[in-house]
Amino acid sequence: MAATPGRHGVRPDLERVFRADYARVVGVAARVLGSRDQAEDVAQEVFLAFGRSSVPAHEAGGWLSVAAAHTALNLLRSGRRRSAREEAVAGDPPTVPDVADAVITGEERHQVRLALARLPRKQAVALVLRHSGLSYAEVAAALDMSPGSVGTTVRRAESALRKEMDRHASSD
Amino acid sequence: MRHPTEGVLRRLVDEPAGVSDDDRAHVAGCPACLAGVDRARSDAAATGAVLTAPRLDPAAVDAGWRRLSSAPSEISSATGAPRTRRSRSLLRSPLAAAFGVVLVLGGAGAAAAADWLPIFHTETVRAVPVNTGDLTQLNRLPDLSAYGDVQVDGNGAPQQVADAATAHHLTGLDVPRVTDLPRGVTGSPRYEVGNQVSATFTFSAAKAAQAAAATGRALPPVPAGLDGGKVRLAAGPGVAEVWSQGGGIPTLVVARLVAPSADSSGVPFETVRDYLLSLPGIPAGLAAQLRAFPADASTLPLPVPADQVNTSTADVGGTRATVLAAKDGTMSAVVWVDKGTLTGVGGILGTDEVLAVARGLH
Repeated sequence: MAATPGRHGVRPDLERVFRADYARVVGVAARVLGSRDQAEDVAQEVFLAFGRSSVPAHEAGGWLSVAAAHTALNLLRSGRRRSAREEAVAGDPPTVPDVADAVITGEERHQVRLALARLPRKQAVALVLRHSGLSYAEVAAALDMSPGSVGTTVRRAESALRKEMDRHASSD
Repeated sequence: MRHPTEGVLRRLVDEPAGVSDDDRAHVAGCPACLAGVDRARSDAAATGAVLTAPRLDPAAVDAGWRRLSSAPSEISSATGAPRTRRSRSLLRSPLAAAFGVVLVLGGAGAAAAADWLPIFHTETVRAVPVNTGDLTQLNRLPDLSAYGDVQVDGNGAPQQVADAATAHHLTGLDVPRVTDLPRGVTGSPRYEVGNQVSATFTFSAAKAAQAAAATGRALPPVPAGLDGGKVRLAAGPGVAEVWSQGGGIPTLVVARLVAPSADSSGVPFETVRDYLLSLPGIPAGLAAQLRAFPADASTLPLPVPADQVNTSTADVGGTRATVLAAKDGTMSAVVWVDKGTLTGVGGILGTDEVLAVARGLH
């Protein structure tokens, strides 16, 4: 069955960009959602949108990361996720110099993620992008911020989340 | 010298090269700033311990690319994925499924709308049932282009317009007005309109014979008058209101369109349908199931992946509506037809939320 072809052309660099950035896009979404499966779903949606976009190639990485963060935060914020769906994210244990990683429970992660969803959106996105490995300059470019304000924004977000963790720990 | 900002202290934790020499020199000799760096480091580490992510190996990237390549969109044709995979992939993504129905029917733009509309027509010609049966068997249906000519007229690709009044002017439809937005959905929508699109399938006995021969089997006898018979399906125009956040992914879509209709020439619709279903390659059980569906176009066939989407019914303003909910809880949609107009509400929302929006429409 013929479908009307080519009304929205797919950009020719899609596969190259996908292969270069897929892992990072999944990583951004997984940091928000705590679920690899959901993160890969988000990545699919983001790359579908990217495939039809005319985002300049040199901005692709930042655009994809921002889109993944927003989409994942929207999912998180929608409240559809249930703590039962909290999955242990596969991968190496994080390096945690001064936090007892063993005591970070699934419930705590869930509570912190909910707190993440309540942060001002720019703070949340900047935080996730920085923790996903984007440089300060890349975060600044992706979010149209000055590089100098990235540190302040990330710092505020981390401080808010740390308070949430401490509050949760003190209530145990 | 004044103390550097907290942002500068934070950057010293993980990108000290980005901090000026003056600031670094100050911090090195300032107990208060050093303490600030320590706090920033501690908070950053605590946050990083929570915001972890998996490491994907190359096989995962390959799998992701295959999935994207078979997505129900023009991407599949652009990447050379076999056309027969399209309906299968259409049914695969829970994210796309519930949401996509509303987008498709509304001709709305964000996901694969422009390409799904013809697919929907295709499924209607095939009279594929909604949300029942073994949907994987859809993949075994013949490509209709092997049995005749398919002509798509009109361009349903959504076009953004300035406001509801313009959308009404262009489509003649009353644009639904949302009274209360769900929590987490903010701002004003963008308005998109799509023109009427029609698809005409003209059965060709010669083509069908070739297709049957390719399977090594003879073409069943062609009913009188079927050769050259046409079935035409039309939908639209339509209007969609799309609320998006961040990267352009819609969080809420409210769509309305002139409901799809079908008409035929030269031969009754059910004759075409039944004959297509009798062709080689159709599982007998599915064919019998499909025959049980009414031949008129008043029953809207929505292909729904039963393993990924729950369906139910609900009352919306006195009309029976179909509710679709992704089993992972991420997306929901509700669709109903009233007086020849189809309306859908869908998004990254719960069933109760889309129903609340649907029932509050004016």
